[in-house]
Amino acid sequence: MKVCILTWEFPPRIVGGIARHCFGLAKALVKENHEVHVVSLEFPGTPLDEDVDGVKVHRVIVELGHPSFTTWTLLFNHFMEKKVGALNKDVSFNTIHIHDWLAAPAGIAAKHCLNKPMVATVHSTEAGRAQGLHSPDSYLVDGWEWWMTYEAKRVIVVSDSVKWEIHNHFRTPQDKIDVIPNGIDVTRYQKERPRDSFRRLYGVDPHEKLVLFIGRLAPQKGVEYLIWAIPSIIQHCPGAKFVIAGDGWSRSYLEGLVDSTGYGNRTRFTGFISDSDLVDLTMSADVLVVPSIYEPFGIVALEGMAAGIPVVASNVGGLAEIIEHDRSGVLVYPRNPQSIAWGVNRVLSDPGYSRWLADNARMRVRDSYTWEAVAKKTAKAYERACAE
Amino acid sequence: MPEEIYFLCMLHNIGAVSSEKSMTLEEVARWTALEPEKARTTIYKLVEANYVGVVISGGIQRYHVTVDGIRKVLSMYS
Repeated sequence: MKVCILTWEFPPRIVGGIARHCFGLAKALVKENHEVHVVSLEFPGTPLDEDVDGVKVHRVIVELGHPSFTTWTLLFNHFMEKKVGALNKDVSFNTIHIHDWLAAPAGIAAKHCLNKPMVATVHSTEAGRAQGLHSPDSYLVDGWEWWMTYEAKRVIVVSDSVKWEIHNHFRTPQDKIDVIPNGIDVTRYQKERPRDSFRRLYGVDPHEKLVLFIGRLAPQKGVEYLIWAIPSIIQHCPGAKFVIAGDGWSRSYLEGLVDSTGYGNRTRFTGFISDSDLVDLTMSADVLVVPSIYEPFGIVALEGMAAGIPVVASNVGGLAEIIEHDRSGVLVYPRNPQSIAWGVNRVLSDPGYSRWLADNARMRVRDSYTWEAVAKKTAKAYERACAE
Repeated sequence: MPEEIYFLCMLHNIGAVSSEKSMTLEEVARWTALEPEKARTTIYKLVEANYVGVVISGGIQRYHVTVDGIRKVLSMYS
């Protein structure tokens, strides 16, 4: 099958989980003998056209701009759509696959102009990310998300939680939805664990405990609840230090919050760090905390599990489907610093339990969350879209 | 979101994302509807933070978002 994947982010242009998802899926589809083209946006220092592990990547130059984010989104979709049209003259795609609302206008246009079945993956919703619709832009994005699910022949979601979310919110028929969880490349974590010298780069000594958060610093990631849990964690584990890896528009608020706890000297905000450093940091941690209040899937939890690190996560969304409480991780109440502190302290205070959780988690990831499995299920969704 | 980061996002969205697409202060001020002096102050803060790069073309300073700046902008969008 010849597939055109449209996505606003693709490595090295990484915003959140969509880039990793598209890259993992595309490579796995190629291994299944599909021809895969990815159309995304230009990024400095990166070729406009290249072959990456068999995936044909095309990055469009966005020749027009506008200060407004939503207008800019429409503009870059226009250039993506032109690229798809040009590629289709040589390739004649079987399916167009779009990821989230950010590529929806281009995908919908390609569907109608080229008369191709369109498959859409909903990674999250605006109503979920913003915990409601609170601004004109939010309503606009919500409308585009509904339109995308309406126009798609098949809608792929990454968890049962998102399936129910879009069924209830957009009235998407259940039999139109395929639940295909994200995968992970476990080989990235099959290397010697970097320990002391790497931890020291982040201010954590060998005898101290590294409590790690990884993700965008946005409200739905619930970082503030982890920060409020810091005093209680330190009370039980005086050697705990906190590394918050990632960036986002809540950063300055969160830095101020940490200072207000009095533990600013035990907490480090890293800002953006490279993928390879992220792998090493994850493998160096004593616990990974995922305190999201909205999490459609939670690839970062899979990454912690693959790295052999105990994961303490909110009992929400996809996290509650990935992690078996008290077996492959610890689930805690969302928006609840006491519960987060309880989970972290449980893991830090019992190394044997912590090791047992991590071993179970590694097996679960290896058995259930491979990109090969994701690609096979996705290809079936493409076949269904073409047949209908 | 801090004001200068909001400005950085606008600079990114209007397309000043490489040295080839850099813009003068006047062009930036016109696009973002900011007073030139305010645009200058804000851009200098972003240059200091390494989010904006400066190129000199024909004796005129032109500005563009750096790779660090692009990553910062992308981290603002969910």
